[in-house]
Amino acid sequence: MENRDWVYSEKVKDHFLNPRNFLFGDESKFKYDAVGTVGNPICGDQMKMFIKVKNDKIVDLKWKTYGCASAIASTSALSELAKGKTLDEALKIDAKMIDDYLGNLPKHKFHCSVLGHDALREAIKNYREK
Amino acid sequence: MYPMVYLDYAATAPILPEVLEKMHHAENTFFANASALHTPGHLALNEIENTRTLLAELINADPSEIIFTSGASESNNTVIRTFEGHEIETSPLEHHSIIESAKIYRGKKLPKLYSYMLANNEIGEILDLSKIAKKAHREGAFIHSDLTQVLGKLPIDVKKLDLDYATFSAHKIGGPIGVGALYVKKDAPFKPLIIGGNQENKRRGSTYNTVGIIGFGEALKYIKKHQTWKKYDQDVRKLRDELANRILKEIKGSSLNTDIKPGKSLPNILNVSFEAAEGESIELYLDAEGIIVSTGSACASGDIRPSHVIMAKTNDAEVAHSSIRFSFSLDTTKQDIDKVMEVLPGIIDRLQKISTIKMRSK
Repeated sequence: MENRDWVYSEKVKDHFLNPRNFLFGDESKFKYDAVGTVGNPICGDQMKMFIKVKNDKIVDLKWKTYGCASAIASTSALSELAKGKTLDEALKIDAKMIDDYLGNLPKHKFHCSVLGHDALREAIKNYREK
Repeated sequence: MYPMVYLDYAATAPILPEVLEKMHHAENTFFANASALHTPGHLALNEIENTRTLLAELINADPSEIIFTSGASESNNTVIRTFEGHEIETSPLEHHSIIESAKIYRGKKLPKLYSYMLANNEIGEILDLSKIAKKAHREGAFIHSDLTQVLGKLPIDVKKLDLDYATFSAHKIGGPIGVGALYVKKDAPFKPLIIGGNQENKRRGSTYNTVGIIGFGEALKYIKKHQTWKKYDQDVRKLRDELANRILKEIKGSSLNTDIKPGKSLPNILNVSFEAAEGESIELYLDAEGIIVSTGSACASGDIRPSHVIMAKTNDAEVAHSSIRFSFSLDTTKQDIDKVMEVLPGIIDRLQKISTIKMRSK
């Protein structure tokens, strides 16, 4: 299967095929401080982001999704970008940064690629409201 | 082509080698405009008429009742537009080229048009046309059927089916993309869609697509010679049912959207949903393993709505978003099924483990 064009770029493919920071199976296995959920399975995509926070920093994060390839790849990329950042820094991550990091997702996939950071923002909001 | 297990034949089938060879030959031999009076023009027209006769024989029609088009969508649009301003009733399982054009053109005038496919492209369901045809003709209405998926898969007799119009496509049977046909029963109402030419007996303007029509003819010869519908019924059905049964047995949360009982569906289509696993991801994880399928998930089509066909059957968006269609051909082998089952259970298991949706089935 070498040397052939895939639907997306090599970087997207890598993150899709080897996603970082997946939360497999039971959620309770990961000791998180806050969780953010966005989307809806009826619309075909849902994202859940779990964060562990220490001294205002995201020390670890994991995610689950019912979503498409773009959602998986971009959330995998986001999880790498966000780890180790302060909450304020993490909030500054936007769709363009993820897009640049991955080397451009198809335009019509933009909606799927923002799911991850919407879920992250929701998780940070929930953490701060705790 | 790289090695792959291609199971998306209902979307399009690769061109048959004999079709390709014939078209190559035709490019050099029958290049002349088939409407021209000169000898090369006549020779080209003869070839076109051969295909027309062949299709007519295969579906039990008269050659004069066949119009060549650019494909099934044009054939469908042409029939629907013929009934502009009239009542138009379609099944919920129709292709978008019928549903969307009917939305634009339907009105209140009579006679009414019924448009019901004989077999659906996404789930393979076979509809009971005889009831609809009887009802239509009792009311003085007309009936059209999109037979795009049926050609070569089931025997076709437009008289027995009692149809006034029927749609066909070349590229689903190993012919070229860009060629289709429309059966219009003698004396049935007809309004050309493309105006400005005497081609097709003034029923469709535009220079004849000679080479494409010749390719269509060669593909028709193939299905006639091999009586492909018999092979689909015996060999392909066996493989399809094997895949269905293995999926149900080996993959938790799987359910069939295709009724595999004989007579209920085309033998070459299998549509399955996998609980809590999203269709586009399944399709692309399979693609990465060299297994080519399609999905009814919204994300795949760039639409926000999932498959209208699976929605019509289940009214469950999650089932539609999680659906995968496997479609087979006479080239599909037992090894292909084994390869699918080598990787599919792992892909589904992983997607279910990372899913935000909790599994209902254990």
